[in-house]
Amino acid sequence: MLQYFDPGKSGLNPDIDYGTPPSSSETLVSVSIDGTDISVPEGTSVLRAAALAGITIPKLCASDNLEAFGSCRMCAVEIEGRRGYPASCTTPVAEGMAVTTQNGKLAKLRRNIMELYISDHPLDCLTCPANGNCELQDVAGAVGLREVRYGFEGENHLDAEVDDSNPYFSFDPSKCIVCSRCVRACEEVQGTFALTIEGRGFESKVSAGQSEPFMDSECVSCGACVQACPTSTLMEKSVIDAGQPEHSVVTTCAYCGVGCSFKAEMKGDQLVRMVPYKGGDANHGHSCVKGRFAFGYATHKDRIREPMIRDSINEPWRTVSWDEAIGFAAKRLKDTQAKYGRESIGGITSSRCTNEETYLVQKLIRAAFGNNNTDTCARVCHSPTGFGLKTTIGESAGTQTFDSVMKADTIVVIGANPTDAHPVFGSQMRRRLRQGAKLIVIDPRRIDLLKTPHGSEGIHLPLRPGTNVAMVNALAHVIVTEGLEDKAFIESRCEPDQYRAWRDFIVEERNSPEAMEAVTGVPAELVRKAARIYGEARNGAIYYGLGVTEHSQGSTMVMGIANLAMATGNLGREGVGVNPLRGQNNVQGSCDMGSFPHELPGYQHVGDPNVRERFEGDWGVSIDPEPGLRIPNMFDAAIAGTFKAMYVQGEDIAQSDPNTQHVEAALTSLDCLIVQDIFLNETAKYAHVLLPGSTFLEKNGTFTNAERRINRVRKVMAPVAGMEDWEVTMALSNALGYPMHYQHPSEIMDEIARLTPTFTGVSYDKLDRLGSIQWPCNEEHPDGTPTMHVLDFPIGRGKFAVTEYVASEEKTNRKFPLLLTTGRILSQYNVGAQTRRTENSRWHEEDVLEIHPSDAELRGIHDGDWLGISSRVGRTVLRAKVSDRMLPGVVYTTFHHPGSGANVITTDSSDWATNCPEYKVTAVQVEKVTQPSEWQRHFQQFDQRQQELLTPAEAGTETSDATAIK
Amino acid sequence: MSDQQLQNLIKMINQISINNLHHGDEDKAADVVATHIRKFWARSMKQQIIDYAESDGIELSAVSRLAVKRLAEPQEA
Ligand code: SF4
Ligand code: SF4
Ligand code: SF4
Ligand code: FES
Repeated sequence: MLQYFDPGKSGLNPDIDYGTPPSSSETLVSVSIDGTDISVPEGTSVLRAAALAGITIPKLCASDNLEAFGSCRMCAVEIEGRRGYPASCTTPVAEGMAVTTQNGKLAKLRRNIMELYISDHPLDCLTCPANGNCELQDVAGAVGLREVRYGFEGENHLDAEVDDSNPYFSFDPSKCIVCSRCVRACEEVQGTFALTIEGRGFESKVSAGQSEPFMDSECVSCGACVQACPTSTLMEKSVIDAGQPEHSVVTTCAYCGVGCSFKAEMKGDQLVRMVPYKGGDANHGHSCVKGRFAFGYATHKDRIREPMIRDSINEPWRTVSWDEAIGFAAKRLKDTQAKYGRESIGGITSSRCTNEETYLVQKLIRAAFGNNNTDTCARVCHSPTGFGLKTTIGESAGTQTFDSVMKADTIVVIGANPTDAHPVFGSQMRRRLRQGAKLIVIDPRRIDLLKTPHGSEGIHLPLRPGTNVAMVNALAHVIVTEGLEDKAFIESRCEPDQYRAWRDFIVEERNSPEAMEAVTGVPAELVRKAARIYGEARNGAIYYGLGVTEHSQGSTMVMGIANLAMATGNLGREGVGVNPLRGQNNVQGSCDMGSFPHELPGYQHVGDPNVRERFEGDWGVSIDPEPGLRIPNMFDAAIAGTFKAMYVQGEDIAQSDPNTQHVEAALTSLDCLIVQDIFLNETAKYAHVLLPGSTFLEKNGTFTNAERRINRVRKVMAPVAGMEDWEVTMALSNALGYPMHYQHPSEIMDEIARLTPTFTGVSYDKLDRLGSIQWPCNEEHPDGTPTMHVLDFPIGRGKFAVTEYVASEEKTNRKFPLLLTTGRILSQYNVGAQTRRTENSRWHEEDVLEIHPSDAELRGIHDGDWLGISSRVGRTVLRAKVSDRMLPGVVYTTFHHPGSGANVITTDSSDWATNCPEYKVTAVQVEKVTQPSEWQRHFQQFDQRQQELLTPAEAGTETSDATAIK
Repeated sequence: MSDQQLQNLIKMINQISINNLHHGDEDKAADVVATHIRKFWARSMKQQIIDYAESDGIELSAVSRLAVKRLAEPQEA
C-alpha cells in the first residue's frame, strides 16, 4: 500500500497540482481508488488522494493552493455505497472508501458539463495566448469533448470587454468560466479581497473592486489570480506578446528579504515570465508585484554594457576593454596606497549581490588591499540586529522560519510594514490573522496589516518616533510586575546574574507604562493591555524592521526585544521567536559573509588569533587584527583627506546614505572611485572607473533570506558585458597581485564552508538536493536549522541586557517642530534603481510627504501642494499628501526617487553601537513653496551633466575581451 | 584629521558611554565602553581619540575619559 504522511513535502512534485491543500492530520485513513490502495491523512480530499496515487481526476475549479469550492462538478466520482456522483474535491476520504474515477457514466457526465462550458467560450484556441498551457483545453481533451450541441447563437459573454488597465496582465472576461479560482486566490493566498463574483447564475461574472478596472481597485498586482486562472482570462501581457515559454529555470527573487523562489520561464534567452515556484520554502508558490513582474530592468536600455574610465569626474567617460579598465583601477589603487598608506583604501560589499560575490569582495579587501576597510549597506539598515542579537542570544539572525508564524497566537510587529516591504510574508501573516491570531503593532504609522480583511482586531501603539526603548521597557515592566514571566525558561536558559540586574532595573517605577506615557505618547492602559496579550499568549512571536534598527538606540531596542522574548520564554520552538525582517534580498547573506570591518565570515572577530590563523592558512596572507573603517568613518576620513580610494560593488551609497551633501563631499574628495553596477547610479556619477554589473538573471550563486535560508540563484542568460560580478572582483584581485582562480561560484561556497563553522555542511550539491538550507548547517544539523536556540544558545545561556532609555539628540524645537520618519512602499524597491525602470512606476510616480490634517491645516497645506522640508542639515521639496495614518506632529516620506532627496534632510545621527543611521527620526519644518530646493536644482544640473558625459562613451567601440580576462 | 572627523568621534564615544551608564557606575561603564571601542573601532580612530584625550579631552564625558584612559593602557592579552 502507498503511504502518505502528506504535509512533509518530501516526495511531492512541486510541478503537479494535487487539487486541494494537504491535511495536517496525523491519523491515516486507507482508501481504494480505482483498485489502488492508499493511506492518507484524515481530512484529505478524494481528489488529492487520487492525485497522490498517481490518478488524475479532471478538475476545473480546484487547485492545491486553494480551499475546495465544488462548483464545476468536473471532478465527480462514484463512491461505493453512496448515491449520485459526489465532487471529489469537496469529499474527504473515509476509512475503507472505494472510489471509481472513470466509467461510462462519469465520462458522459463530464462531457455534458464541458459542453455547457464550451458553448459560452470562444473557440479561438489557435490564436489564444493560453494555447498549449490551458487547463480548460486540457480537460476538454481529457473528457473527449467532440461536439457542442447548443450552438453559439444563444446568449453568451463572447463580446465582454477586455480590461487592460494593469500594465502586467490583462483580463478578458469572454474567456471566463467563473470557476472563482481568482477570487479565492486573492482572498486566501494574497489576502487582499479585491475580487468578487458579481450576480448569480448565468449573469455571474468576476469583478475587481466595485466593478472597476483592476488598476483602480484594491488590487496590488501580486499575480496570484493570474496564476490561479485555468484559462486565458487573466493572462500575463508578456505571454500575450511573446507566446508560451519553452523552458524554465528555478531561481530566487533579487528584491526583498523574503527570498521567493521563482521559475524563470524562457524562450531561448528571452525571459517571458517569472512564475512563483511552489517548491520554494519561503513563498510556497506566492509572490508580489516586484518579483513577479518587475524584471524588465534587466534588459533596460540604461544598462551599463561596457567598462569605462576617466581621470576626473568632469571628464567624459571613455569606453575601454575589460583589461584596460581593470588595469587602470588596479594601478590607481596601488598608487594611492603607495602615497597615502595601506589604510587609505577600502570597499563596500553589496546586499544585492550573491553570497559568493560578497565573500569575494571582503576577501579582496582583507587579502589584496591588506586592511579591514570593508563595510556594507547593511550598515545603514540592520547592523543593530547583528550587535543586539549577538549580545543577548548569541547569533546575529532571526530565530524562525516564515512558516512558524502559522503557529503564533500573538504576533507583535514593531517598526515594520510587512504588507509593503515583505509582501509575501505579509500575506502569510494575514492568513494567520484570519485564523484568529492576535496582532499588536508598535509603529508611529498605522500600517495596512491593522486593516486585514477578516482578521481579528489589532492593537496599535502609535508611539512617537524615537521612543521604542521606552516602549519596550514599559512592556517588559508589565510582564515582570504582573507575574507574566516564564520562570522555568529564565531559570534553565538564562544567565542568572544578568537576569537579576535586568529585573531590578525593569521593575523600577520609571519604566512603568504610566511613567513612560509622557515619553511615548501612548496611553498606559493600552500598553498594559498589549503586554498582557503578548505575555499570556501560548506562542508570542515578534517581527521587527527598520523602524527598530534605524534609531540612535537601535541596538538597545534589539536587545530590549530579545529581553522580552526571553522573559516570556518565547524562544526555541515554532510559533515564537525574534525575527528581523531584512530589507534587501541578501542583507542576511552580506552580514554572514564578513562584510563588516570587525568580522570575518560567520561573525568571527578579526581580533581573535585562532580565527585569523584559519583564514590566514587558507588565504596565504596575514590579516590585520584591528577592525577597519565603517562607511560613515570612511566618509569622514575621505573629507579629512586620509581615505582616498574605494571599490563599491552594487550599492548606491550616494542615494541610500543619510545626509546626502556630506556623502557627496566625501565622494568628491576621492582620488579613485570604482563603481560596479548595472546602471549609472548616483554614486557612479562620482566615479573614475565604471564596471558593468550583472543582474541576478545573469549569474550563478546564492542569496540568504531573512529566515537564514540559503537559496540558489541560477543563471538564465549571459551577462550583458560578458562578466559575472564575482569574475570582475577576481580580475581586480589578480591585477592587484593577489591571485584568485575560481572556475565557478560553487568553489567559493566550498571555501566559505571550509572557514565558517555555521556553513560547514553547505554545498551546491546539497542545495540542489534539498532546494534550500537554513544555516547553521554543520555536523550537528546536516540539513540545516529551521528553528534556532531549541536547546541552548550559541553563547550557552541567554544574556539579559539592561536597556536604559536615552532620548535621541534629534529633538523637535520651535524651528523644527515636526518629526520626519521614512519608509517604503510595495511597488518600489529601496533606492528604486530597478523598479523605477519598470511599469511599477505606475503605482508610485514620486515620493510624497504625508502630513497629518491638523498639521496641514495649521500651515494652510492641501493635497498636492509643493512643500519645502528643512532639517538641520538640508532642505528639499516634495508634494503633500494629507493623511491621518500618523499622529499629529509626525510626517512621513519614502526615498525611492533620487531627485526627491529625502536623504538630503536626514542627519548623520546614528545608533550608538553600530553607527546605523537614524533615518527614522529627523526634526523638520514644513512649509508651502513654489520651487525646488537648491539641492534639487543642483542635483538636476549634475545629473544632466553626468548623463551627457556618458553619452559619447556609449557610442564607443564594442569591446569584448571578457573571455580572455577570466 | 579634520575637526568634523574629531567631532564625530567625540560624539560617538559619548553616545556609547551614555548608553552604557546605569545607576552612575562610571567605572563599570568605562570598562564596557573601552571593550566596545577595542572591538569595533579602527586603529586610526582609536589613536585619534587617545591623542585628543591626552591633549585636550574637554568634550569627553567622564565615562568616555575613563574609557579612553583604559584604551591607552597596554592591553593585557
Ligand atoms: S493580482 Fe493579486 S491582488 Fe490583484 S486581483 Fe489578483 S490576486 Fe488580487
Ligand atoms: S478569471 Fe479565470 S480564475 Fe477567475 S473565474 Fe474566470 S476563469 Fe476562473
Ligand atoms: S520582492 Fe520579496 S516578496 Fe516580492 S517576490 Fe521578491 S522576494 Fe518575494
Ligand atoms: S474541481 Fe471539484 S468541483 Fe470543480
